Amino acid sequence: MKGNLEHFSPTQILNLVSLSKKSGTLDVNRKGRKAALSFKDGKLIFVSMEDADGSLTSVLSKAGRITREQADVLAKHAEKHGDKQLGLLMIQKGYITRNDIVQAIKRHALASVNEFANWNSGDFIFDQARQIGDDRIIVPLDLENIIIQIARAQKRDEQLEEEIPSLDVCLKFADKSKINIKELQLSKEEWSVIRYVKPENTIRMIAKSLNLSDRDIRRVVGSLREAGLVELMQVRQREKLSVEEKQEKKALVGRLIARIQNI
Amino acid sequence: METQNVKMVVTGPFSAGKTAFVQSISEIEVVSTERRISSEAEQIKEATTVAMDFGRITIDDDLVLYLFGTPGQRRFDFMWEILAQGMLGFVVLVDSSKPETFREAKSILETFRAYAPTPYVVSANKQDLPDAWDLDDLRIALRLDESVKLLPCVATDKESVKKVLLELLYAILEEMEEKE
Repeated sequence: MKGNLEHFSPTQILNLVSLSKKSGTLDVNRKGRKAALSFKDGKLIFVSMEDADGSLTSVLSKAGRITREQADVLAKHAEKHGDKQLGLLMIQKGYITRNDIVQAIKRHALASVNEFANWNSGDFIFDQARQIGDDRIIVPLDLENIIIQIARAQKRDEQLEEEIPSLDVCLKFADKSKINIKELQLSKEEWSVIRYVKPENTIRMIAKSLNLSDRDIRRVVGSLREAGLVELMQVRQREKLSVEEKQEKKALVGRLIARIQNI
Repeated sequence: METQNVKMVVTGPFSAGKTAFVQSISEIEVVSTERRISSEAEQIKEATTVAMDFGRITIDDDLVLYLFGTPGQRRFDFMWEILAQGMLGFVVLVDSSKPETFREAKSILETFRAYAPTPYVVSANKQDLPDAWDLDDLRIALRLDESVKLLPCVATDKESVKKVLLELLYAILEEMEEKE
């Protein structure tokens, strides 16, 4: 099975794999960005996405369970003995629990598959013969729930694109917002965006400063607006009229008013 | 002397009453581009505007006001930017009895504000229906600032439409005065 995501979307592929309970590996290449998703009996068992190769050391490092230096040392060990051996060793030494490993791998797989779901182009090939190596730790995940979550998020993103059609607008704090901002429980991204809410900053500028994608900044601004904290404010300046033009325009509006009053 | 043409735009979600609004006040039979609705989901009415509705009010010998009603369905939104160019102001019409369209109304409002920074009013249509939301609730649902004029309306009633247009014109004057 091969094709391009432009014609067969990530969710359609995941759905097909799930329904036909396929096993194998899906390789995707999107302008040099690569993803590999492995499945067993229609369940997602392993994801490697760009620099996050899905190995135990990279997953634990990303989750903040080990430092970069520790990851480098452990990666050498894993090269020789495999992720399973490394995991067992770490559990035996009391560095980490089995649950920590499972949760970290699960989080990595979900984050990666959510990222993959947003790819709208890229060549893909599904190879049923290619199985994930025995040395890897696999955490099987049901695709049905993942697909539903992705579909919900995509629907929400579409709505947000309609609500915030342009990122070249500024944000302002809602006039009626009487919420004590210090008592709010916001996410790290939401706090970061709040810091930049100024009349001179457009949403695009905020996204650039925080290194957020268009989709991510829309999500953050969307939730802040939903909570009634911020409003959109136009940045484009109204045309500047000369005194004569202003008088002329006022007279014109006056004529319109007089006429409509008498209809 | 050459006739001067000015335009105002009436926008809003599908089935908000834009065609009726323009029809109520236009001195000519509205030039309508209605087509039978193909989508089952949107079969609340038999036909919908696909390009624009076009009404006219002659102000005097050398001034004509054109009213353009936008298509309400998203798949025709490529017309919106064209219609928004050079407008004096715009009316966002909302069906007060259909809360499921409020989010869309807010989105259309934001889109038009992005197209052109002109004054606008929001008009709560179908206020004569028993299920119509009252204005205070609508203001909250649409997240409208106190400074935005939210006006009750029955688009089939000429007097009601006149009031909305007049309020938009007053808003244009107020905005000009604020800037002085």
